[in-house]
Amino acid sequence: MKISINEIKKYVQIPSTVKDEDLIELIGSRLVEVEEVIDLAKKYQGIMAVKVVSAEKIEGTHLTLCQIDAGAQTERFAKAGSKTVQVVCGAPNVHQGMLAVWLAPGVIVPETFGHENFKLGARKLRGYESNGMLAALDELDLGSDHEGIVELNPREINPGDDFAKIYGLDDLILDVENKSLTHRPDCFGLIGFAREIAGILGIKFAEPRLGMGKFENLKSAILNVDIRDSELCPRYTGAVINVTALKTKKYFDQEVAFLAKAGMRSIDPIVDLTNIIMLQTGQPLHAFDYDKLIRVGDSDTAQIIVRAARDGEELQLLDGKIIKCIPEDILITSNDRPIALAGAMGGKNTEVDASTRRIVLESATFSLYHLRKTQMAHGIFSEAITRFTKGQPAACCLNVLKEAIGQLGGQVEVVTDAYPGKIQPNVITLTIEHINKLLGTAYTAEQIQGTLENVGFGVQCADDYNLTVTAPEWRTDIHIKEDIIEEVGRLLGYDNIQLDLPVRKFREGQIDRMLKLKREIRDILSDKLDAHEVLTYSFVSKKLLEKVGEESADSYEIVNSISPELQCFRQQIVPSLLDKVRENIKAGHKDFVIYEMNQVTSRHAGLDKEKVPLMSTDLGIVCLGDFYHLKALTLELVKHDLRLDLSYRKLAMNSETARTYPYLEPKRSVEVYCNDRLVGAFGEVKKRVLTELKIDKVISALEMNLEQIVDAPRVIEKTFLISKFPSVERDLTFKVSADALFGRIENALNESLKRKQLIYTVTPVSIYQSDPNDLTKNISFRIKFSNPERTLDSEEISAIIEKIKEDVASVGGTIV
Amino acid sequence: MSDIEKLKSELKKLLIEYAKIKELPPAERGAFGKQMNQQKQAILQRLTAAEAEQESAEIEEIDFTAPCAPNEPIPQIKRGTKHPLMTELDKVIEIYNRMGFDVMESRQLDDEFHMFESLNFPKDHPARDGYDTFRTGEGYIPPAHTSTMQHRALLKYQPELERDGQIAVVIPGRVFRNEDADATHEHTFYQCEGVFVSKDATMGQMFGVLKQFFEYYYGQKLKIKTQPGYFPFTEPSAELLIEKPAALGGKGGDWLEMLGCGMIHPNVLKKAGIDPDRYQGFAWGGGIDRLVILKYGLSDIRYFESAKLDFLEEF
Repeated sequence: MKISINEIKKYVQIPSTVKDEDLIELIGSRLVEVEEVIDLAKKYQGIMAVKVVSAEKIEGTHLTLCQIDAGAQTERFAKAGSKTVQVVCGAPNVHQGMLAVWLAPGVIVPETFGHENFKLGARKLRGYESNGMLAALDELDLGSDHEGIVELNPREINPGDDFAKIYGLDDLILDVENKSLTHRPDCFGLIGFAREIAGILGIKFAEPRLGMGKFENLKSAILNVDIRDSELCPRYTGAVINVTALKTKKYFDQEVAFLAKAGMRSIDPIVDLTNIIMLQTGQPLHAFDYDKLIRVGDSDTAQIIVRAARDGEELQLLDGKIIKCIPEDILITSNDRPIALAGAMGGKNTEVDASTRRIVLESATFSLYHLRKTQMAHGIFSEAITRFTKGQPAACCLNVLKEAIGQLGGQVEVVTDAYPGKIQPNVITLTIEHINKLLGTAYTAEQIQGTLENVGFGVQCADDYNLTVTAPEWRTDIHIKEDIIEEVGRLLGYDNIQLDLPVRKFREGQIDRMLKLKREIRDILSDKLDAHEVLTYSFVSKKLLEKVGEESADSYEIVNSISPELQCFRQQIVPSLLDKVRENIKAGHKDFVIYEMNQVTSRHAGLDKEKVPLMSTDLGIVCLGDFYHLKALTLELVKHDLRLDLSYRKLAMNSETARTYPYLEPKRSVEVYCNDRLVGAFGEVKKRVLTELKIDKVISALEMNLEQIVDAPRVIEKTFLISKFPSVERDLTFKVSADALFGRIENALNESLKRKQLIYTVTPVSIYQSDPNDLTKNISFRIKFSNPERTLDSEEISAIIEKIKEDVASVGGTIV
Repeated sequence: MSDIEKLKSELKKLLIEYAKIKELPPAERGAFGKQMNQQKQAILQRLTAAEAEQESAEIEEIDFTAPCAPNEPIPQIKRGTKHPLMTELDKVIEIYNRMGFDVMESRQLDDEFHMFESLNFPKDHPARDGYDTFRTGEGYIPPAHTSTMQHRALLKYQPELERDGQIAVVIPGRVFRNEDADATHEHTFYQCEGVFVSKDATMGQMFGVLKQFFEYYYGQKLKIKTQPGYFPFTEPSAELLIEKPAALGGKGGDWLEMLGCGMIHPNVLKKAGIDPDRYQGFAWGGGIDRLVILKYGLSDIRYFESAKLDFLEEF
């Protein structure tokens, strides 16, 4: 929303000690965030009014050769000896004697201000010298009209006068953040905004007296208003006004400038007036053509019925669009036939136009809940509905209507006020202590009372302790004592509150177990190992789910997703990671491990005790490399560092687990168990999946449910046995059948050494098969052992080796 | 004869010369001895140098600017990386944790009740629109703020109050807004929520805690200021700004909007079974992404969720 400082100053006397920048700072810290300050004085610098002394058509062109008089400024630009300046103008409406707006050489065209900053000069047009230009509304950035140049009223301005100064454009415009005023309908009008500024400055706000005109005993027309549901429409006021005497504007005026400063365009005198009143008071108004209204209603008199829309009911709006109503819409009808979508936009069938003789002017308020649905359903985000959805106070409707009638002129025929939803003012009792205790301040009763009264609250405080506060009628947002405390804290300045720290009983802060586990895993994978932590979106595409073989119907689906790429809440982490592999390979990364820990869920996971989807935190790892590569990494992470009791089982084809991890090749994958509980799986990704993802490398992936291991016991028994006596090192190679399991041989070897009560290590060295068709393969180990109590002699060593051979032979390994 | 041998024989000669000291008159001996000693030291120094040179004579000199010796492989150091958002989040948590706050995690799919109702957003209130929420077919919401956890935190720690303690908890988590991503907007980002409740919590304490946090975080004294804000779940509400710290190139006078905060609305306390007449509290929430962006001067927020190794390897 755009707020003019000049307009604010019309309502509140700013002390001379408060400079504009101080004022803006105060507005920012005590009322609303100021996003931008626009200095209009700079934009309109050097622009002046001029009189067109002569205007002669240039033969064969659409141009007019003008001599202009810029008053005292003429001399600066005129040729020596000349009393006028020559300007060539292309507008059809330029004529002798008119007052125009001149952009002299050296002036920046306002339309280009802040971007191109186009500066005018003196140049030749068709052989005629032209000094600067006479401006149209669009070039001044005050409207969209380019039909002709702007004509000024000689009663308002003289040649040579500063255009900006006369029309209030020597102004600062604040662009404020609407969101922080969501609860403040009053601040969406200049009067309300100014009232707050008075409050901040500690000045009693002088309420402008709106709608003082008396409109009684008017009988020349009938306007009946029937509100069917006061929940939908607490109040509807309206007036029938004869506007035949109103003339269309000839001149640019203060009102056009006023609207432009708020970012609105001048349309016609009636619409302009409703907009101006809205900008001043925050209350949107609407004008209907009275005669059309009666015709639509097929009645002799105006019968306005305000009611809920019927599902599917149609109405053509002012912008030409035909809408189908939803039951939450509120309709203004003429004798039950729709003529406006309440709060949002009027209907085409009652549009005010050049032939309009009488209007019905509406000032009403509607349920903001319903209008919010209207706004969403029909995508209407007008200045009016923006204000209505803040909850315009019913108490103010009539005065605003009367004010509008007064400003519009014209002859009033009837004023009607239907007010079934009358609301009593909010009265709140609280104490000085309540206020100071919540804010951490020591404000006095006098300070508090003054602060509240300045902005229109009624305050009774007989004993300097108990307060009875009555909210002004325009404050629909005041309901509880905290609302009053906020007013006091804010108006007196949060920045003036003395900082403090809570006093606490000494207690160590606890960290969530899952956060701790994730931290631990991150330290291991990223700091000790060489993996890269990534983050990917929680939403994935159906296509990706299908590519990896997951059931997209099992994902919670986002109904208002930004794109099909972000439609399903992910069930696992691995698919998101697989989706990022190709791109990284293409970027030249040859050998990498990426991982992510994040929340996943699926429909079949069900709901938790709060009846919301059961979420679980998963670890996903994807690496370039085969099963054994990832196995080594997993062993390092889970067994060595996290010290979890981990075991693997072969992933059976067509098993439940194979269906859970459909992207894993069962023949080259395992299930992972922790304390005999299935916690995940890892292995090589299926060829088909890789082809779908256009990856031509071997990729392995792990998906592990961290919820299952967050509380798992850690294996901390480790025997740090280091012998003082020399150890023996031997390399042993066993020939085994090609299909023998490595683990069986390794186990036999370990068991054999263990039985001898030795301190020992067994390290795999190689697995060798000269040809894939060979019926045997060779497995080599390096073993190292020592006796904890004495040096082993050669006889003992031989005996140990012999025993090993025997033990390994029993599981099918022959020493080579 | 090698240099070393020459020096050794020179030394020998000098020692013989030195023996003559006895023949000199006592008055001259001091000066003579001093001179001889100087010469001896000079020879010894050269000798040490010559010996050191001889010791390394056979050693090939390195090219300290080269990555490896000729014909040798270049040593490869592989290192993993942590995601910058997670690193920063950890740092934030660590500070609050040291200040005595518990830490719990936010959830990524929630319902209307936690996202809005428990936070005093009336049903169908336009204020809900400001949050641009996503929705699932079942009506669940990927939460748009970590405040979705406030009610749970209050319920969980409410017994602390009964034990004459306080509620002090921070809640980090991933949140979602339905807006198109561009260089400065993301639909997915991280926030950290804070909740404090006691018998005498004040707005002054809230600003005090937050100032303290940012001073720890940036490792320097900071100025703070506020702007009024509007959140249905706090009353009064404010936005907190800090003066741009020197660590971020601040020279004074620039302000950064860091978070929204306020005194917890009595309805929010009531909903969690906490009597607002006996207890009061404050809450705040701020973005983590922004902290990282400010720190590294990132130009495109979309890198965070891109899983691009080229980006991650920068950290």
